[in-house]
This record gives sequence, structure tokens and C-alpha cells, in this order.
Amino acid sequence: MTTATLAPAARTDVRRREASLGDAIRWETRKLRAQLRSKALLIGSLVAPIAVVVVVGAQSRPPKDSLFGRFSTVNGFAMALLVLGFASQWILPLVTAVVAGDIFASEDQHGTWKTVLTRSVSRSRLFWAKVVVAIVFGLLALVLLAAATIGASLLIVGHGPLIGLSGQVIQPSTALPLVAASWATMAPPLVAFTCLALLFSVWSRNAAVGIAAPVVIAMVMQLVGSLGGVEAIRPYLLTTPFEAWHGLLAEPRFTGPILDGAATSAVWAAVSLLAAFLVVRHRDITGG
Amino acid sequence: MTKTAAVGAAVDVVGVTKMYGPLVAVDDVSVRVAPGEVYGILGPNGAGKTTLLRMLFGLIRPDGGEIRVFGRTWDEAGVHTLDDVAGFIESPKFYPYLTGRQNLEGLALLDGSGLPERIDEVLEVVDLTGRDGDKVGGYSYGMRQRLGVAASLLRSPGLLVLDEPANGLDPAGIRDMRALVKRLAASGLTVLLSSHHMDEVEEICDNVTIMNRGTVAFHGTIDDLRAMAPDPGHVLRTGDDTQAMSIGRTRHPAVGVEHAPEGGLVATGSERDLAAYVADLVRAEVPLLAFTPTRTPLDALFFMLTDARPDDVHLPREKQVVR
Ligand SMILES: Nc1ncnc2c1ncn2[C@@H]1O[C@H](COP(=O)(O)OP(=O)(O)OP(=O)(O)O)[C@@H](O)[C@H]1O
Ligand SMILES: [Mg+2]
Repeated sequence: MTTATLAPAARTDVRRREASLGDAIRWETRKLRAQLRSKALLIGSLVAPIAVVVVVGAQSRPPKDSLFGRFSTVNGFAMALLVLGFASQWILPLVTAVVAGDIFASEDQHGTWKTVLTRSVSRSRLFWAKVVVAIVFGLLALVLLAAATIGASLLIVGHGPLIGLSGQVIQPSTALPLVAASWATMAPPLVAFTCLALLFSVWSRNAAVGIAAPVVIAMVMQLVGSLGGVEAIRPYLLTTPFEAWHGLLAEPRFTGPILDGAATSAVWAAVSLLAAFLVVRHRDITGG
Repeated sequence: MTKTAAVGAAVDVVGVTKMYGPLVAVDDVSVRVAPGEVYGILGPNGAGKTTLLRMLFGLIRPDGGEIRVFGRTWDEAGVHTLDDVAGFIESPKFYPYLTGRQNLEGLALLDGSGLPERIDEVLEVVDLTGRDGDKVGGYSYGMRQRLGVAASLLRSPGLLVLDEPANGLDPAGIRDMRALVKRLAASGLTVLLSSHHMDEVEEICDNVTIMNRGTVAFHGTIDDLRAMAPDPGHVLRTGDDTQAMSIGRTRHPAVGVEHAPEGGLVATGSERDLAAYVADLVRAEVPLLAFTPTRTPLDALFFMLTDARPDDVHLPREKQVVR
């Protein structure tokens, strides 16, 4: 072998460090922070509950038909649980889908798949970075919603003893952890809805579909779950875990539905992520 | 020995095929780019240039054949196939809500190397210094194209792959982009360039592949191509076309004279024969108003090889590529 033939090939050994998952997560986070929508959503998660607490707390007639509605205008714990019941039905799937439903589709919208995939990051790494960022964002929104709701309720409405679902009196020192735990049980279904939104984002390549589809699915499941004679399928609905916290406020306390809900959520999340992963891994990037 | 040869090539495409449903977008194409070389892939719209380059970047999967980049394949090396490669496919795309600099910083993160100190340097090369703080959403098409080059250079690649870098630019932009590519090629970079324009590759490329409808229509050096080029045609405007035509027919059988679709005449033949014919026209006092080449010989050959529409022929070159 002569040096003459080796010389031009000298660069063949160039070996680059592949971008780490951390690098990819930092990049996704930066993009998210530059977007008005995500910032507005987090601020909304902090401000909206306060407004709701103020408005509902000022009503002369409490919403008696809702769970914990009867004492919501006089007891902060009841107020925080009333808002929880409302948020779990209508708000949480939407809040998390705003980012998760867009995070893959926006690459299609901007034609930037080819921009990022021609660097040194594999499709799977980019995929998991987006998944992590979307889930963390959803959980962050949940924490802000919970903190703002509980804080505002206790400060504005008060923090006397709470009447539980079985009519028992719960002292404030016990009520606070129970209310916080009730909010925390939202995490598993929230993550599952995030994964569902991610799947729609990947599959439809359209942010509107990615955001709207999980919300519509939540509404349909809500409706199906409220019908009679569906006991067989109710445990598999992704909206059922949103109600698992009721057991925490009963006497005696029961946590079975929370564990079942976590399992249901895990299955929904895993299946959604697997499907999304396969699509991202194998699709041809022809646009952009 | 074969193995060494394969490793030695910057790009080694062997018998690659890609189908889109029933359409064969790339049909059994082989291309070999040596290190340090400037290689052109030439072809009209739909020839399969972009499809081929997308496969090189791993954006789409070939249905058959093999692509090696500096000896690595996607199946074996995954994203490490691109370790020494950078470039863009069609018009480069960025995040419009980020500034030019933020886009480059993010891409540096995804390069794994993070070379933020090179950002100023590459911005300077593409003449975007001072505009890097503006959101890319407000960039002109030409600025985005140049940011695409900057983003590629950020990786300090050994191989630069550019898919029609001058496409969509105005004449000044085309001139600047060509000058930039020329400068980069002169700096010793291996360049793989696709284009619609013969004159874009003719000046800077050592070797070319001409593609047409997914297949290779020509493969070789620019010099080989020149040797094959037909005689150029000339547009002839006279005060008396009938007489000019009859002089051509009767006295200059080696020169073909025909009516051009837009009026006037088109004369074809070797330079010598054409000179003699024109001299005769002047002697016969046929008023001679214009005598201009329709296209360069290489252009003519390109159109022949790719059977491009004949009505493209008389348009100014910049207009031939309007999509
Ligand atoms: N995503 C796709 N789905 C179906 N057909 C496609 C797709 N992308 C390209 N094609 C077809 O494949 C063929 C090759 O297209 P390609 O874009 O590679 O050509 P090109 O040489 O880059 O053309 P241009 O000069 O217009 O950029 C064309 O017939 C095109 O219509
Ligand atoms: Mg193309």
C-alpha cells in the first residue's frame, strides 16, 4: 500500500460522537421554551385555577350536584376536589395534548425532519427525547394546576375539616395529603393521554389532529363510561383511572382502582409509544 | 483489494433502486465519488436526483442495492454513516420561530460535537453575519438557502452533499451560490452536487452522472461529455429570411437552416461551415440583424440525453427551471 492511495482516504476514519439523549432533550426543551403556546399553557395552568376558585367560591349557591360541590364554597379541601373532578374530565387530556400532539407533527409542518435527521442523532434517540419532553411537560402542567388549585382553595375558601365521601370528618392535617394524593393519581392517565397524543402526532403528521384526537377520545370514553351495562369494558377505558381517587376519600379507604388505573394507563401508554416508535423508525422522510 | 477500493470511495452507490408504488423513481443507479472530487448529478425534473440523495442521507430506504458513504452503510453503522457528511436536500428548512443562530446552536447539539465556536465562522462564510439574531421566519429564500450551507459547514464535513443549491434563487443569488460552491470545492472538500443546469456543474465538476427518469443516461468526465457534444445551433435574424434560407439550402448543404418557432431562423453546423454561410449572406447583401448561439454544446447534449422538451431550448437558462 502506498501513501498515495491512502492519502485521499485519510478522512474515512472520522468518527463523531453521536448526540446523546441528553443533547436531544436539551434541544427539544429549547424549542419548547421558544414557543409562545407552551409558555402560555404553563401560565394558564397557574392562573386559571385561581380564577375558577375565586368565581366558584363567590357563588351564593354551591354546585350541589357535583362531587364535593356541596361544601365547596365553605371548605377549601372540598373546593380543590371539586376542581379536580372537573379538570380530570375536560382539561387534563387537552393540556397535555397541546404539546404532545404537536411535537412530532411540527417537524412535518416545518419540513424539518430532514434538517435534524441529517445530523448525528438517530431516529430512536430523537423519538425518546420528544417523548420525555412531552411527558415532563404534561406532568409539569399537572403539578402547576394542582399547586395553584390547592393553594388558592385553602387561602381563599379556608381549611376547616373536610366531610369525606362516607360522611366521615377528615381533619385538615389528614385532608391535605389526601387531596394532594388525589391530584397525584391523575399522573398515570395523564401520561397515557400524552402517549396517545404523541401517537396521533406521529401518525397524522398534523398538529390539529394530534391535539384534537385525544380530547375527542377522552370525551367518547367519558360518555361510554357513563352508560349503564358497560361494566365489562369500563376498566379498560382510559378515563376510568381519572376517577380512581374517590377511594381515597371514602371510609374505609381503598386504593384498588388506583392500581388498576395505573395498569390500564401503562398498557395504553406502552401500546401507543410502541406504535409511534415503529412509524417513526420506518417511515420515509419524503417531505420538506 | 475490492474492500479497500470500496472504503476508499467517499460515496459508493451500487445498483440502487427506489419505488414509489408502481413508479420507479431510481432504477438500478450506480455512482462512485472519489475523495476530493467534485461530482455532479444532473437531470431534469423528476429524474430521481433528490430521491437518490435522500437515500444517501438515510431519509428513505432503498428497495434494492447498496449505498456506502466513506465505507459505511446505514444497516451497519446507523447514523454514524453521516459522521463525515453534511448537506441539504431540496430547500433547507429551519425552525421559523428561532433565530438563525439558535437554529445553528440546536443543530450543533444534535451533531453531538457542539461546535458553537464555529458558528461565527460559518455565518461569515455565507455572509449572514449581522442577521443571525433575526428569526428565520423573516429570512428571504436566499438567506435560508445560505443558512443551509452554514448549517452544513458547521459539521466540518469531508463530504458536502448539495441538492440543487441554486434552485429558486434570483440571478445574483445563483451567481453567489455558485461562487460559494466553487470556493468550497477548491478548498479540498469532496462535493456531491445535483443540478438541472449543465453550466452549474460544467465549470466545477470533475465527473458527472446524467440521470433521466430514474436511470443513468451518461456517466463520465466533463471532457468525455464535451467530446460527445453536438454542434451548436444559432438563431439567425435577417431582413430576408426566404433568401437566407435558399442560400443555405443551395450553397451550404453542411449547414441546416430551419424556421424557428418564435420567428427567425435556426442554423446548425460546425463553426467553420456556419462562418462560411454567414459570410455568404453578407456578400449576397442579405441584411443580417442577429446571429446568437441557442445554447452551449453541453446544454444541447443534455437535452438530447434527457429528451427535455424542445420548447425549453430558446428560453434564457434561468427560466428553464421554473417548477
Ligand atoms: N414522496 C413521493 N411519492 C411518490 N412519488 C415521488 C415522491 N417523491 C418523488 N416521487 C417521484 O419520483 C420521481 C423522482 O423524483 P425526484 O424528486 O427524486 O426527482 P428530482 O430529480 O430531484 O427532480 P427535481 O429536479 O424536480 O428536484 C418523480 O417522478 C417524482 O414524481
Ligand atoms: Mg430534486
